[in-house]
Amino acid sequence: MVSASIPVILTLFFAALLLSGLSGLVFLHKRVPLGYVRVHIGIISLPAFVSLAALLNIKGNDHVGLLHLDFLAWFMAFFVLMIGIVIQRFSVRYLLGDGSYRKYFALFTFIAGAASVAWLSDDLRLLVGCWGITLAGLTILIGLNREWKVTRTAARRSGRVFAISWLAILAATIWLFQITGSWNLSSVLSNDHLTHMDSWEKTGINLLLVLGVIIPAAQWPFQNWLIESVVAPTPVSAIMHAGIVNAGGMILTRFSPLFNGDIAQLFLLILSSISVIVGIGISLVQVDYKRQLVGSTISQMGFMLIQCALGAYLAAIIHLVLHGLFKATLFLQAGSALPRREGASQVSQKPSSLWVLTGYVLGLLAGGAYWMLVSGGAYQFVNAFVLGWSLSFSWTTLIAFSRGRIDRAVGLFFLGGSVIVYFLIHSLFKDWLHTAVYQGVQLPMPLVLIVVCLLILASVMGTLAARYPSSALFAVLYLWLVKLGEGQAKSTESHPSYLKQYLSEGGYRS
Amino acid sequence: MSMTSTLLKQVNEQKNASKVTDIKALVNEASRVIAPLGPLSAFAARHPWERMEEQTFDEVADWLRNTRNVELYPSTSMILSAKSRGEIDEVFLEMSLQRWLNSSSFNIPRKAAECFCRYSLEMDEVPDNLLASPELEKSVKGLGSWKADASGHFPIQPLSMYKEHKAGGNVASLLDHHVIKWCKLYLDDSQAGWSMPKRDEGFYRSWQRLIQHDPALSRDQRRSLRNWPQKADMALEVALSALKIPQSEIQTYLEGHLLSLPGWAGMMLWRSQQSQHERSLLLEYLAVRISMEWALLKPYLPVQKKYLEKKVQIDSLVAAWIHCGGLTFKKWLKMSIDQQKEYLTFAYTFNERVRKQLCLEAWEQTYADQLSHKIVSNQHVHNETKPALAQFAFCIDVRSEPFRRYLEKEGPFETLGVAGFFGLPIETCELDSHHTHPSLPVMHKPQHRIEENSDENELKQYQQRKQAVESLSYTFKTMKQQALPSLLLPEVSGPWLTIQMLARSFLPRKAGQLLHSLRDSWLRKPDTNLSLHSAEETESEVSLGFSDEDQVKYVRQTLKMMGLIKNFAPLVVICGHGSKSTNNPYAASLDCGACGGASGAFNARVLAALCNLPKVRKALSDKGIDIPEETVFAAAEHNTTVNELKWLYVPELSKSAQEAFDCIEEALPKVSQQANADSISQLPTIKTRLKDPMAEAHRLAEDWSEIRPEWGLARNAAFIIGERQLTQNCNLEGRAFLHNYNWKQDPDGQILASIIAGPGTVAQWINLQYYASTVAPHFYGSGNKATQTVTAGLGVMQGAASDLLTGLPWQSVMASDEEAYHAPLRLLIVIQAPREYVERLLDSDKVFSQKVQNGWVKLATVDPKGHWENW
Ligand SMILES: [Zn+2]
Repeated sequence: MVSASIPVILTLFFAALLLSGLSGLVFLHKRVPLGYVRVHIGIISLPAFVSLAALLNIKGNDHVGLLHLDFLAWFMAFFVLMIGIVIQRFSVRYLLGDGSYRKYFALFTFIAGAASVAWLSDDLRLLVGCWGITLAGLTILIGLNREWKVTRTAARRSGRVFAISWLAILAATIWLFQITGSWNLSSVLSNDHLTHMDSWEKTGINLLLVLGVIIPAAQWPFQNWLIESVVAPTPVSAIMHAGIVNAGGMILTRFSPLFNGDIAQLFLLILSSISVIVGIGISLVQVDYKRQLVGSTISQMGFMLIQCALGAYLAAIIHLVLHGLFKATLFLQAGSALPRREGASQVSQKPSSLWVLTGYVLGLLAGGAYWMLVSGGAYQFVNAFVLGWSLSFSWTTLIAFSRGRIDRAVGLFFLGGSVIVYFLIHSLFKDWLHTAVYQGVQLPMPLVLIVVCLLILASVMGTLAARYPSSALFAVLYLWLVKLGEGQAKSTESHPSYLKQYLSEGGYRS
Repeated sequence: MSMTSTLLKQVNEQKNASKVTDIKALVNEASRVIAPLGPLSAFAARHPWERMEEQTFDEVADWLRNTRNVELYPSTSMILSAKSRGEIDEVFLEMSLQRWLNSSSFNIPRKAAECFCRYSLEMDEVPDNLLASPELEKSVKGLGSWKADASGHFPIQPLSMYKEHKAGGNVASLLDHHVIKWCKLYLDDSQAGWSMPKRDEGFYRSWQRLIQHDPALSRDQRRSLRNWPQKADMALEVALSALKIPQSEIQTYLEGHLLSLPGWAGMMLWRSQQSQHERSLLLEYLAVRISMEWALLKPYLPVQKKYLEKKVQIDSLVAAWIHCGGLTFKKWLKMSIDQQKEYLTFAYTFNERVRKQLCLEAWEQTYADQLSHKIVSNQHVHNETKPALAQFAFCIDVRSEPFRRYLEKEGPFETLGVAGFFGLPIETCELDSHHTHPSLPVMHKPQHRIEENSDENELKQYQQRKQAVESLSYTFKTMKQQALPSLLLPEVSGPWLTIQMLARSFLPRKAGQLLHSLRDSWLRKPDTNLSLHSAEETESEVSLGFSDEDQVKYVRQTLKMMGLIKNFAPLVVICGHGSKSTNNPYAASLDCGACGGASGAFNARVLAALCNLPKVRKALSDKGIDIPEETVFAAAEHNTTVNELKWLYVPELSKSAQEAFDCIEEALPKVSQQANADSISQLPTIKTRLKDPMAEAHRLAEDWSEIRPEWGLARNAAFIIGERQLTQNCNLEGRAFLHNYNWKQDPDGQILASIIAGPGTVAQWINLQYYASTVAPHFYGSGNKATQTVTAGLGVMQGAASDLLTGLPWQSVMASDEEAYHAPLRLLIVIQAPREYVERLLDSDKVFSQKVQNGWVKLATVDPKGHWENW
């Protein structure tokens, strides 16, 4: 790629963004043929290409006007725009015939565009404004099918909590402006200003920020909007889970100098740990594919916020990006969720205990080695623990249960491949982002141990419940998890009776 | 004494006092209103009103409108659209109208009545300004006492439907919310990592254990269910008696509850038919549902039943007369009150339902008329036929028709139509699989199991390769369900999934094909044999393989059914059919309906292999079916999405068979090309020009974002039983099931009777499934595919939670939200045979004659002279 100067790239970027917004508006017009959507997909890829070019040309931090142009900013912009393209490409065929076909594309374009500008901005007003557009766009998307009772309910509820979240962030930024007299994020968070801030003010602002980020991340006790919004069409869920719920990680990373070392960190740690457990519980007990994904998103976002609370912002960014891609794919292939006709693969014989034991030892060694190598830190302890556990678990299913030499070799190949890819990706991210991401002070070890204990408890919960099925305690726990994963009764409609309306109104084109 | 035990005592007293009908029998009776519903992965069409055929179609339609407000006639807009496309001929509409007028009695001048009816059949709405006009108000004065003689028959509804709930909506919708939850948790097919405690003790028992802890209920409600009976039937009786449902109304009351969530109830019914230990599952379901209804309603008891008196809007009736009947206000006011009342009564009788019924009949007749013209005009075009080089047996499926047409054009080929399970009552078991699939129409039970097997050594290698693939997806699934590994999973699998997502998005066809070929070349499934011969006679219901007699019996039957008992071509190809779509929960609905919602490939292989057995051929020739030595049977699969024919089994060919084979190979690409161009032009698209139909068809099959991979059996309308000459060269637009039948070979009518009973029923069920999904998409269809979620590994729900949806999705019958694609017509069965044959059939087959009489199918015949007759 030819190196280009920042102003050129910026001009190109905003021109491309403007063009794709216009293209979305043009497509809204009934006279534009449906085939135009292919041109539209071409146009919306322009800003993504420009941001990719910017990524390749980036050198250190740069502040241009209202913008903060570091690697992280361009990377997030590229990520959001890319998700937007994939989802719109998917919708071309998937939503064909939908009454609001054209509106979906316009809204997807606006959401992705506004979010990308939000992550580029250094000016608090621009950031909050763009983020507001994204949330508003999402609310409209959820409620696009106005005839259907349950989508109206879901849109109303999501809109309400989004408003709270947005107002909280708005209040935090205004407060910051009051104290520092600047709207400029990088100057607001300069050491100079931070040291002059009262600690109660800091905590107040941070608590507002925490409120602002846990709502879009669907953390307990605000998980219901995400559960009920599965009424939206699959691509809407995909963009929501890939690009919106993880905004908290990005916001906290940007505000990390302010957030770090504050008592609010502890508050966030507690809420997100609870959410991890609630989310895992929901995806354990629920049987609907999309709702399991919602449960998993809640726990994954909880994990991301734990990472933030423990000061590991780099890890949080890696997690939120990979989770976004992961979850978008899982949603888009929601049609494949029916078990195949051959039935699930059955594990025929019990593996020899030697193989299983090897797995345990391997997990222990790997976890320990990892912790030694990355030289400590509270978050790294949690991470080493998760890594070791996962390794020994996947060893058991992939290798200990294998039937013969061939599948054992394949299992080893994939296990080894995954480990290599994991470290490769992490080191790549580290190289790219280390300048952009603030590495925080970490919380004291005892707290971290509590988090680890909670996670262990969640892990063994399912196993214990299977062992003591008649225990009243587990019955109550089970039912509570079911209840947490159910929306209100209002979000249930036995039959989609709005279709009757469609039949009586539509069906006749003169 | 607690509440529950008092209730229990009451029930026992009642039982002793009067002769009470057994509750189990009542549940069984009530279950007639729902259809059993199997898992979606083996979707096979179900007739939604299978056990209600004793009533006429119109009666069932009225009953559904009254009880659930579900309309079974096509909507006004569909009718208008059909009219504008010329699918409803005014002549037939007028004929239906005259028939109706002749059969009903009224006391107004016939001329006025006709005028009124004709105008109302235009389905033009009365303009608002007329309804609001002050003159109208004047004209209805003095008519206050007029009442339509609406029959006082009100449907019995669940009591919870009469009571509003404080959270909004009625108690019934709250009840649905709870019941859906319990159903899906219980029925879950190993999707949950932590499944419902004590599930193996049965639905009712585990519910009864858990309900006392359910935080979704209030403390009072939990307490009231704490000592609820241990047994489901007892609980049901207690609940019914607590709700004070009189004995005589119990069955109807249960029916009302079954219709609230017909999908979940249908799944319970299906499960109860599958295994012995769940056989009272439907009763348990009702026990749970009605017990919960009682608990939720308890504060409001006794519930006042507000019968919503159907208010007849007198002014709208008068307005209708002014608007449609050519009357003016002046003329109206001149009439006497009695006269006015007669006019009102007439307008009331000729309501929307009657209008739609007449339109539907006219629509069906127009189709029959157009079809008869096609067929009758075809009679004279008789091109003399060369002896065929190859014969193809296709499924009766409507999608076979265009393919057969193009195939016949490309060479000296003869095609036959027969039900796609080829008369083999088998369940199939693929190589190294633990799962068997009943590969026959859903109303029958399999009698033989046919397994694939292969060389021991190769099998072992194959098992390991397969296990390697499976353990990867298994690891992915279990990691999702484990707390700590699930947190790491996105970071490990994210990169792979991203590559897959990008490839599938931007190169859908290539990416899909690459993934398939990678999988296939890794698995390298070894060549397999079929277990056709049974080792010994077993007493069990399903035997492994066939006995020697069975082999001959089935082959002979099937050959007779397809009318292939002489003039064998050198190569006979048995063609099963399947489909190919990606990311589509309804994939099975595009497969062969006669094979229980799976590809018919397996059955085709079995039949072809049986026909090649020398022993079978010898026995057949003893019975008068001489298959020449040089004739070879082969099997192939017709892929309906890409319209290609893939060879499944080609034994060693004789010289003439080899010639035929080469000829077919040469013809096939062109056939596929034409058939695809045809079928793709029917699908909605954003492209203005189609360059390469083959590539587009393959994209449809591989694209993960494709919502309509093919149209399936949409627009099916007729079932033609007769010789191929009858329909050869006719473009039937892929709307007809075709079954071969030669009445000359069937002196005793046996073959006709079995065609009607077997394939005829399959076709009728498919037809009614499409019909129901089109006219009542919310109730009998399954809604928009984009907002569905797969639940419990069994089926789909809409939005966050709903009934388990039973029918075809919105996109399978609609071209867009505004435009219907399927034409909801009842199946027209056309039989080519002398009149006596059909009369004999109607006499002997009471089930069939009931179907015809009650309007579940339409019947027409073509006699040997080529005359068409509607019955
Ligand atoms: Zn078939």
